[in-house]
Amino acid sequence: MASLPKRIIKETERLASDPVPGIGAEPHEDNLRYFAVTIEGPKESPYEDGIFELELYLPDDYPMEAPKVRFLTRIYHPNIDRLGRICLDVLKNNWSPALQIRTVLLSIQALLASPNPNDPLANDVAEDWIKNEELAISKAREWTTLYAEKK
Amino acid sequence: MNCYPEFTCRLSTSRDEINFRWSRTKCELAKKFPGSPEVPAMADERERYFKDELDSSQEREKHEFKLNGGSFLFGPDREEPVGAATPMDVSESGLYTSAGSDIQSQKDLAEECLQEEFEQVHGEVRVPDYMSQIRQIIPGMDLEVARRLVEKYQDGRDVVSKAISEYFEEGPVAENKKPGNSNSPMSGSSGNDSGDGNNRSFGGLFVARGKRHKEITPRPAKRLKSGIEWRKFIGSLQVNAMATRPTLRPLKYGSELEIIKSSGGVPTSKLYNANGRKRVSMASFVKIFDTQQNREIGRLPEDVAQIVYPLIDTDDVIFEATMVFCENKRLSIGDGFVLQLDCFLTSSIFDEDKDGEHISSQSVRWGSNNSMVETEEELQSRSKKVGLLSLFDKLRLRIVDDNTDDMGGSTTNDDDDDVEVIDLDNENNQDEKLDSIVSGEDDEVRRLSSQEEGVMNLNQLKVFYKATQSSDSLKTLPETEPPSNTINLSLRKYQKQGLTWMLRREHEFEKAADSQGFQNIDGNMMNPLWKCFKWPKDMSWTAQRIQDHAETDLGKFFYANLHTGEFCLEKPVLKTLMKGGILSDEMGLGKTISALSLIFTSPHDSSSVDKHLFTSGNEDEGLSLPSSQSSKKPYAPKTTLVIVPTSLLSQWHSEFTKFNNSPDLYCEIYYGGNVSSLKTLLTRTKNPPTVVLTTYGIVQNEWTRILKMNRRDADMDSTTGLFSIKFYRMILDEGHVIRNRTTSTSKAVMDISSNCRWVMTGTPIINRLDDLYSIVKFLKLEPWAQISYWKMFVSDPFERKDYRQAFDIVNAILEPVFLRRTKQMQDIDGRPLVELPPKQVVVEKLTFNETQNTIYRHYLEEAETSVKKGLARGDLFKKYSTILVHILRLRQICCDVRLLGTQDENDEDLSKSNQLFKESLDVDRIYRKVGFDEKSDRLDLECLDAIKSKIQEKYPTPDSLKMLECSICTADPIELHKVLFTECCHSFCEDCFKEYFEFQRQKELDLKCPNCRELINKNYFFTLVLKGGEAPQVVPVREVAKPAKIEALLKHCTMLQETSPGQQIVVFSQFSSFLDILETELTNAFLGNGVKIYKFDGRLNLKERATVLEGFSTKDFDNQKVLLMSLKTGGVGLNLTCASHAFMMDPWWSPSMEDQAIDRIHRIGQMNQVKVTRFIVENSIEEKMLKIQERKRTIGEAMDADEEERRKRRIDEIQMLFE
Repeated sequence: MASLPKRIIKETERLASDPVPGIGAEPHEDNLRYFAVTIEGPKESPYEDGIFELELYLPDDYPMEAPKVRFLTRIYHPNIDRLGRICLDVLKNNWSPALQIRTVLLSIQALLASPNPNDPLANDVAEDWIKNEELAISKAREWTTLYAEKK
Repeated sequence: MNCYPEFTCRLSTSRDEINFRWSRTKCELAKKFPGSPEVPAMADERERYFKDELDSSQEREKHEFKLNGGSFLFGPDREEPVGAATPMDVSESGLYTSAGSDIQSQKDLAEECLQEEFEQVHGEVRVPDYMSQIRQIIPGMDLEVARRLVEKYQDGRDVVSKAISEYFEEGPVAENKKPGNSNSPMSGSSGNDSGDGNNRSFGGLFVARGKRHKEITPRPAKRLKSGIEWRKFIGSLQVNAMATRPTLRPLKYGSELEIIKSSGGVPTSKLYNANGRKRVSMASFVKIFDTQQNREIGRLPEDVAQIVYPLIDTDDVIFEATMVFCENKRLSIGDGFVLQLDCFLTSSIFDEDKDGEHISSQSVRWGSNNSMVETEEELQSRSKKVGLLSLFDKLRLRIVDDNTDDMGGSTTNDDDDDVEVIDLDNENNQDEKLDSIVSGEDDEVRRLSSQEEGVMNLNQLKVFYKATQSSDSLKTLPETEPPSNTINLSLRKYQKQGLTWMLRREHEFEKAADSQGFQNIDGNMMNPLWKCFKWPKDMSWTAQRIQDHAETDLGKFFYANLHTGEFCLEKPVLKTLMKGGILSDEMGLGKTISALSLIFTSPHDSSSVDKHLFTSGNEDEGLSLPSSQSSKKPYAPKTTLVIVPTSLLSQWHSEFTKFNNSPDLYCEIYYGGNVSSLKTLLTRTKNPPTVVLTTYGIVQNEWTRILKMNRRDADMDSTTGLFSIKFYRMILDEGHVIRNRTTSTSKAVMDISSNCRWVMTGTPIINRLDDLYSIVKFLKLEPWAQISYWKMFVSDPFERKDYRQAFDIVNAILEPVFLRRTKQMQDIDGRPLVELPPKQVVVEKLTFNETQNTIYRHYLEEAETSVKKGLARGDLFKKYSTILVHILRLRQICCDVRLLGTQDENDEDLSKSNQLFKESLDVDRIYRKVGFDEKSDRLDLECLDAIKSKIQEKYPTPDSLKMLECSICTADPIELHKVLFTECCHSFCEDCFKEYFEFQRQKELDLKCPNCRELINKNYFFTLVLKGGEAPQVVPVREVAKPAKIEALLKHCTMLQETSPGQQIVVFSQFSSFLDILETELTNAFLGNGVKIYKFDGRLNLKERATVLEGFSTKDFDNQKVLLMSLKTGGVGLNLTCASHAFMMDPWWSPSMEDQAIDRIHRIGQMNQVKVTRFIVENSIEEKMLKIQERKRTIGEAMDADEEERRKRRIDEIQMLFE
């Protein structure tokens, strides 16, 4: 593996020294490009009180290429599928090298706060969401308690 | 000679060649298929042919006699067939000596005679077909011998081949019967030994061959003219003469005739045209006289007359003619008769020039007709020479290979002329040589046949070097340890050997190891102009029939210089009195060290210094030379003059000082003006400098000055400088500098006097074989130093593609004076001479930046159009220099567009006055012209201005510019010289953005600003330009974009600085203006931060060079040192082993030049692995140049025969470039 670019080191340091509230990201011991991430469910969202685990990987071309992020914790969300894949523009075409791990994770947190069923990844969830938002939200809450409860 | 089963004499010359070939082919056949039935068949045919020809003897001009009986010249055992015409009286057998039974020999004799009469004898001979077969194969074989052989083998199979192999293997015992016999009186009835040495003892069987003799007129042994001590037989000709006077009676067999020249006083000049061709028929001037009756009887055929005519009256050659056949009838006018013409060389031809300097007289002989009409005398001597040559040719005197005769006759077969097995191929070559010397007319043929000259060129240089380095003898050279009291240096093994060699070359035998009694260093290499000939067995009429024939014992060989017509009995050894030589060790083997060790080992001319002290106890007396001697230059016996390229001056000086261990020795640098009188300094002071160090430039300068002065005032005393003294020793470092002898530098150098002369060069041949000539001339290596010789023996053969001859001669010239070792050579223990740390050469492919790319495409198009036009019209050659300019531009763009418009200082083919250069080259203008059309151009400019002011508004103060942050690498702040602004005024590091840019381009994604995601235009990037002290200026990037190579170099330097600080780095480029750019760029990039930059190019003077080199080579762990080196200036001689990293910024046409440069670093003294990075721009002309380099590496570029071919090749290359 290529040596770690300064930028990654710098980001990692800053994530540790100046963490984003509600977000934790720690590089793996063996691979500094692989991060274990935790995101607290945003307040006043169906995911409140849940702690969601994610994995984040910085590809070799980072920061030219977006980091790869995936939910490990099951979540009921129209933009996140059963495998934990996230549908988020900044992780795709709207990536810019000016973005960082921190900003990406913030975006994900924001996505939890405002699901967008019109641009779904998990179609069944999105359908539920559109048909009966309340039911969907309660199901999301249920899942949060079930899978992402604080320990 | 035995391989010619026949010899043809003819009146018409046209068929000679064919007959000759025919006979040779047959000979080969006979050798290959001994005993094959074809051979006798052919023989029969030939006999028939002969008869037919005889019958049709009316047509005299076309008349051809084919005489069976083998090589009548040297075939000692065959009698001429003429005997057939006269009745044979066997009762004359009182003449026989017989060791065998009389009857037997008589029977043999009968056989022989019968055969010679071309009768069908087969029935009568016991084993007829075997006999004749064997004798077809070995025409000279004794009948008796043949019969014995057949008898021995006839019961088995393969009779003939067995017989033949026994014949060759057993090797008839040498006929060493000393000429005691031949001195026996003629009257003695037991007398005829039939010529000493004609008898053969074979397989223990001694056979005295019966000799048939006719009633011959007793002939007294001829008295030789006074002044001629001896004569020696060289061959006989069977000549068909034509009677010009009727005779009353048939001429007797064996009657003596005389060849008389009867030009009637016509001067030679009338006989020849101005071009040397003979004008009149010679036959009318060469008469045959009957000596007894003293009347003319006939004349020789024209071809023989031509040869004989110029030789008749000279003392050098004696002809003896004997009547052998006239059909036994009286002659009418026009009748043909056959005579034997015996040819002898006399002592007089050997008299001249006994010493080694054979050549000196030559210039008198042939050389002095500078465009003047040849004098009568010269013409005579020339026609004599031609006559001799043709005579030799006609007699088929064979050149003996020099290598084989070195044995001096120690081999057993050596004494027998007849059993020499002749390698036909070899024979072929020899003949060709002789031919080419004689005629040179087959040049056309040669030229035609050498279509595949490219193949011939293949590795010629290698061949040459291989030929000139006789490594085996070098390995065994003893080692000389230089005296430690003068030199502070330990030499390597091969250097010590080299020292021995050099000392020997200077005849300083007592100083060189193991050289006591070693006097003849030159070996006994035969002068290649001379050919060795073996005296043929004396087959002359007199020798065979007359006993009063004292054969002079002259040794087995004689030597002739066929070019000058000189003869000699002793081997003409090449004696080089010259002291000195060429030390041509490969680059990096320490030629400088070797030269220094020579100087330190032998700092003074010992003989001269001693003598000096001895003769003049009072030093002053000895030194104040009388003015009468002033014409002779005073000798400086203690001083060595070393001439070096300017770039090496300081290196030489420092090495001298470094190794000097003696307070008495010192080195003086001569700049021309700094020493008031060199003469006084060197010859009149007690302790003159050991070494005077100067440069080619200074020598040339002084020479031109003196030349001018002399022109103005002939009496001008110009004798204080270099040219006023004779040095003890003179050394040219990088001596190939003088390869062009017409340059004033070469002329100047040659005019300096010195006792010993040395040339040090790793590349004695740069382009042409003739490059060597200058060196030879400098060394005063006679006779080669005369251009006419060199031309005749080296240049001309080479141009004729006769490489073998050219190389042979060059080898012979150089062998004694040339020492070359290569890095690959191994010493006697099989270890390589030099073990160097490994060298890694990496080609790094780069891509153009945008600006470069745009401009490059533009120029490429222009160049391609031009080349295509040239090719289409076929006048590419005329456009040559224009195209070179095109190419140059492309190469410059690969480095930096700012180079456009500068000259290429390395390309001599490029005329500086070329029109294209006059075009003004404003890069910015070009870029705009190339990139945009007029309209958008204006818009574009407006846009740029708008963005610029926007940025300036956003960052109004220099301070605000210092707070910029790069969102890509999160650097904070961005270094000012690396800032890049997008059109949306966002800032990034240049490198980061470039990476982003490349990434997007590769993925074919839109180029958006990372910060605001606006689409952005690559043409509207801005950067900051810092000029010392001023506020940073915002400027469009494309105006200051760093070319790919500079980028790459900076990157490497930074990386090296980070990983291993304090490295020394050498950067080579052929463009000195590029070096300037690099200097600025590097300075800007590092801002003096841990990096020191040195620049070394042709513009520096001596002192500056020394300073630069010294500064660079001093190790400094805190600073990275970068030496910017011009490929041409620094390519040779310098020692830069302190560096282990090199960057080649641009490729050069010839790989050897780059290799040379790399070898500055990778040479003795280098302790570390060497890493060389060559920058090559992808998809550009440079990649194609790499291919051309490859090609050159394989075909040995250095041997381009001449200017024209060189150009032709370059045109090929141009085509390659634009494929």
